Amino acid sequence: MSRRDLLLQVIIFALGFFYAFTYYVRVSEPVDLQALGDQLFAYLTAMLTVAFAIGLINLTRVHVNSIRRRRPIWRYSLVLVISMYAMAVVSLISSPFAIDPTGAVIPPALMDAVNPIWEFLYYKILVSINASIFSLLAFFIASATYRAFKARSVESTLFLLAGLLVVIGQAPASDLIWPGFCAIRDWIMAFPTTAGERGILIGVALGVIAFSVRRMIRYSW
Amino acid sequence: MRFMVELIEGRVAQAALLIMVLLAIYLVSLIASRSKLKTRSIPGLEKVDSWIQKAAELKRTVFFTPGTGAVVSPDTLAALALLEYVAKHCVEHGARIIVANADFTVQQVTEEIVKKAYKNAGKLDEYRPDAVRYISGRQFAFAAGVMGLLRREKPAVNFFVGEFAAEALEIAEAGRTEAIAQFGGTSTVEQLPFFMATCDETLLGEELYTVQGYLSDDPKATATLVGPDGGKIVAILIILVGVILATFGNEVLVSLLKL
Repeated sequence: MSRRDLLLQVIIFALGFFYAFTYYVRVSEPVDLQALGDQLFAYLTAMLTVAFAIGLINLTRVHVNSIRRRRPIWRYSLVLVISMYAMAVVSLISSPFAIDPTGAVIPPALMDAVNPIWEFLYYKILVSINASIFSLLAFFIASATYRAFKARSVESTLFLLAGLLVVIGQAPASDLIWPGFCAIRDWIMAFPTTAGERGILIGVALGVIAFSVRRMIRYSW
Repeated sequence: MRFMVELIEGRVAQAALLIMVLLAIYLVSLIASRSKLKTRSIPGLEKVDSWIQKAAELKRTVFFTPGTGAVVSPDTLAALALLEYVAKHCVEHGARIIVANADFTVQQVTEEIVKKAYKNAGKLDEYRPDAVRYISGRQFAFAAGVMGLLRREKPAVNFFVGEFAAEALEIAEAGRTEAIAQFGGTSTVEQLPFFMATCDETLLGEELYTVQGYLSDDPKATATLVGPDGGKIVAILIILVGVILATFGNEVLVSLLKL
């Protein structure tokens, strides 16, 4: 281990131990460790905000290169770069995230003129596109379910049966077909599903504990 | 100098449980290591290298995304451990790697990992800055960006491992449509069925945290992955005792866990 790695490991261990310790033990004197932890977390948030610029720089670099080299998708890159910076400028002038909301530097007339543009870009374009991409999920769920619901083995047949019963139980007309479908759906969701979920969660929690300690002390267990 | 130190109410039982679980994990790891026990095989991880090799032979790219979680998420950290392995083998076999990120802190770390893989292999001149890309911090903008990348680049393998929500299924289905070999991994319970339905190989739940040890050349590290099973034994014992006590109307364990 190099000296740099060792120093890094000491910092990882010290911070990991500090946060684990202050989660269980309250130390208010001589130093309020809980307040210190909150303060450290505020520094982390500040650092993360600065790191946002790295994402912006990377996006600009990749897409400006694509435009400059006239790659097959350069037109999309152009749209991306223009819309990204246009949205950023408009948001900084007049939006809930405006840099000067009181209008001390930016003239209020300019803010009033820009606000409808921001509202159009945000609510009419961004929100709509977001909803469109989200709604694609309905079709993707259907195709994934179609592929998964095949009786190839005993396990997949059980999976298919349980899935079909839940789907039928969830359908609006299930009660009219047979009231028992809803009861079966509720039983499947409340018992076998919850039991399986909890089993997985216990495993995940133990995995996280072992993984965190491995990272903290750099030991291979 | 005065010292004011006290255990936080409601977390005493949690602290005791944590110590018990850590001890159990350590002891089982020690036994496993001494008796050279091995964890069960994870077929997905066994195939990683051959998939990368095939991608290199086909002269197609290898795609990797560590999900939408930040660098503080355990799933993301596990994904980064896998990325180290994937990037190293991509460079060795000469396959081009593309990494897509949704978080700017993860972007910085993944850039470092991929660059280091090229540097360690003495091929830093082959590293292209657009190998690691920041897509978007917005969930569905990220999904759309990744779907577009999969359609345009047509990679041979799609590794999507880490913290995922609804965007996982969109990414997976886009990969399926392009007949890309898919390797998915997450511990997000709600997403597990979708990963099972859409991926060729998976790392589900706790398997995700075994990546580093499993892919390590050190047999001791591989043997000690059995460790968390010690924690499971403690959990099962507590559940069994709790069920028996609750059946007979005894609330001792419930009260103890509330401490």
